[in-house]
Amino acid sequence: MVIERLTEIVEKAVSATTNLGANQAQASAFLLENALTRYANSQIHQNVVSKNGGIVIKAFLPDKRMGTLRANTLEESEIERLAEKAVKIAKSARPDEGFKGLPEPEPWAPVEGAFVKETASCTPEYRAARVKEAIETAHNKSSIVKAVAGYFSSNTMYFAVANSLGVFAHARLTTASMKTTVISESEGSEGFGTAEKYTRNIKEIDPILLAEDAADKSVRSVKPTKIQLGNYEVVLSPLAVGTILSYLGYIGFSAIPYQNGSSFVKYFLNKQVFDEKLTVKDDARDPRTFYMTPIDGEGVPKKLKFLIKNGIVSEESICYDSLRAGKENKKSTGHSVPPITRWFYDMPVPFNMIMEPGDSRIEEMIEETKHGIFVTYFHYVNPVEPTKAILTGLTRDGTFLIENGEITKPIVNMRFTDSMLSALKNIPLLGKNQEMVKGTTVTPIKLNKLRFVGISSY
Amino acid sequence: MFSELGRLALEEAMKQGASYADIRIGEIENEILTVKNGAPEEVKFLQTKGFGVRAIVNGAWGFAASIDINEKEMGQVVEKAISIAKASSMLKKKNVQLSQEEIRQDKYETPIKKDPFEVSLEEKLNILFEAERLLAEQSPSIKASYSYYQGFREKKFFMNSEGAEISQVITWCGGGLMAIAVKSGEMQVRSYPASFRGDFSTAGYEFFESLALVENAKKVGQELIKLFDAEKCPSMTTDLILTGNQLALQIHESCGHPTELDRALGTEADYAGTSFLTPEKLGKFRYGSKHVNIVADATVPRGLGTFGYDDEGTPAKKVYLIKEGLFVGYQSSRETAAELNLGGSSSGMRADSPLSLPLIRMTNINLLPGDWKAEEIVEDTKDGVLMMTNRSWSIDDKRINFQFGTEIGWRIKNGSLENMIKNPTYIGVTPQFWGSCDALSKDDWKMWGIPNCGKGVPGQVMYVGHGCGTARFKNVRVGLI
Repeated sequence: MVIERLTEIVEKAVSATTNLGANQAQASAFLLENALTRYANSQIHQNVVSKNGGIVIKAFLPDKRMGTLRANTLEESEIERLAEKAVKIAKSARPDEGFKGLPEPEPWAPVEGAFVKETASCTPEYRAARVKEAIETAHNKSSIVKAVAGYFSSNTMYFAVANSLGVFAHARLTTASMKTTVISESEGSEGFGTAEKYTRNIKEIDPILLAEDAADKSVRSVKPTKIQLGNYEVVLSPLAVGTILSYLGYIGFSAIPYQNGSSFVKYFLNKQVFDEKLTVKDDARDPRTFYMTPIDGEGVPKKLKFLIKNGIVSEESICYDSLRAGKENKKSTGHSVPPITRWFYDMPVPFNMIMEPGDSRIEEMIEETKHGIFVTYFHYVNPVEPTKAILTGLTRDGTFLIENGEITKPIVNMRFTDSMLSALKNIPLLGKNQEMVKGTTVTPIKLNKLRFVGISSY
Repeated sequence: MFSELGRLALEEAMKQGASYADIRIGEIENEILTVKNGAPEEVKFLQTKGFGVRAIVNGAWGFAASIDINEKEMGQVVEKAISIAKASSMLKKKNVQLSQEEIRQDKYETPIKKDPFEVSLEEKLNILFEAERLLAEQSPSIKASYSYYQGFREKKFFMNSEGAEISQVITWCGGGLMAIAVKSGEMQVRSYPASFRGDFSTAGYEFFESLALVENAKKVGQELIKLFDAEKCPSMTTDLILTGNQLALQIHESCGHPTELDRALGTEADYAGTSFLTPEKLGKFRYGSKHVNIVADATVPRGLGTFGYDDEGTPAKKVYLIKEGLFVGYQSSRETAAELNLGGSSSGMRADSPLSLPLIRMTNINLLPGDWKAEEIVEDTKDGVLMMTNRSWSIDDKRINFQFGTEIGWRIKNGSLENMIKNPTYIGVTPQFWGSCDALSKDDWKMWGIPNCGKGVPGQVMYVGHGCGTARFKNVRVGLI
């Protein structure tokens, strides 16, 4: 069993590290089995599977010097050598007075439904068959469908963590996702449409539904017209909302920008910064979240946390790991990212953000829009001024003009540059149907105003 | 040892029906040091190792990889790659064809003077602590001050069923400074010598030393504080001068990515996007002014994207992408080069680890120098803005509309730098922007290293280089916020 193997490794690694002179030690071990079938131009062009795994050891010396080592190996014979290296790195470092100690053990319980056998055992033949359904569905939708692209992925993650204070925890998780992008062409003009599905259970992915949605948007997107730059009402699909929300999590709710003074939260504590309809919590145990897990990367049990409550942000909104919490004499909120990501993401962030639903359907939002823009997807969003939550990005894969309550025509992709503090200040309508979009669970929303400053055309 | 394992894997792949197969076995060492506010924020050593097998079966690709480098695991990985290729062939329109490339058995090693992995951690940390201290002490308004070092070494072995066998050792290192200051609710940032943790080069520790972080820390901190008293960048259309540490990212986003042939052929349509530089424009489309010459050059000394061979075993090449303003070339792989009959790959295929599939990645995308001195460009500008050091960036899925922000800028009046401006931003459309380029410097031309270029699904991060100096662009819209 994988978990048993990983727990044995982390116990041995903690023991080896403390035996070498560390007064505190943390070890985590992980195994990832990732498979992805990617398609473009209506055929599979990349089809990959990889087994990745490793050990991360953190050694803390009595004077608060720390060293971190990550190695891509799960060989038990390597543990002693890796522990030695982690301690050697720590000995070369300097003390970090902000470090107040690793997390103390707390009771935790596994979460039901995080691991789905069908996802873990998915075969390349299954993925290829689903991709084939998507491609055929899209082409059957219209003769102007030129090409279908996307991916179908299935992933299994096993993770165990222990520390010298007695933390000992583990988790396993499956994720699956499919994206379908359809390109149509008529009289030399291209139209794009996209649909995505994120789930832990691969059987919940319906390639036909996704292909129909993406093809519909794509076919309706050909021959787009240019419209004037300026402020518009917008109806944002869950894919667009998920992107905005994940950026707010990254620039606003992480302890690092908060402590650096770059988070907008710092300047609007206990103020009505967003519409009172907006409530966002972070809850890794909620089945509606994609990355469902009982613990964080340091083995701290995941708990419900409100990031935005009725439009108000507060000190309670900030997400900490033990290192950043120690700098404010606080306790970790359980937001250390497990070291399962490829690049060892060492920044506490909320990755189980759930937007509380409203009571509107997306059709009602369109009906309530006099002169606005429907956005399927935002591309290449980046922060411009994080203290004011100013973001920029472009619409993509299905952008339409709404006139007098109806979608009337496709428009050329546009760039927005605006403060999310002003954009989300008035949310006249909030959707009732939630969708998982990676680390967020969101609904569609209608905004009274978003500022568009550029157009994707030459 | 790798040669024998590789030979066994390729023989097994061919026995199981592959018409082509290759294997990459590798190990990466990555030393990452960050000092923040007087404390060691990161003292990390990351090791990645493993192998990946690509195979073409029934005219379609399969790829499998694992961390366990041994004969038994290799057999299983080959079997997976073959089975995946067979699944891929259920949905193919045509058989994969590869361009003909020179088949070599060779070794390559980054030339270095001082091995960064032989320099003690203490020595590196001493520099970082001292530089960070000098940076932080410039003002109590500085809330976060950072100094960075990164050393990287990749040992990679490549072998394919055509007979290529290549061993390489790629080494790079570098670092930088960054500080965030807050005053009356306003935040400003200043970095040195560039954003994204600094500047990096395929070179030894001597490159990190040449950055002189300690000697530059004070100036960076002082400049940062002056930004609070600077005027906001005015909203207007004007002449824009970009220095190298912003121009590098402009080249990256608006020339590097759109000339990737996989994007132009639609295979990144679901994620990164496509390209406005579609194949029928090759050799015909006016991308920029006559002053604009851009090459993909994997051979240039010290470029962060410099190597001996790419991850398909193709020898490093230099190819023109833009010649005197005309779009003339793509960055390509063996498969995409064959599809357009380009006569050979541009040597553009790299993976960010042995566990990842190689993709078309930028090598060094260099804007060749002009005849100007940087200061002459300023002197020649009657009314304009100079912007320096990237702060924000965004570009659309076809690489047409972009918006950038920089950390600092200056108004130019009658040929001289006048007042400092803060929060500078500019927006543009790629061919119009490059079409308006009328001056390029040569005296400050250098290679810049960007270690964090993201692409692909699953996502990969690659280290790439950009050679450039200072350039001027006419009639650009600035001041978006």
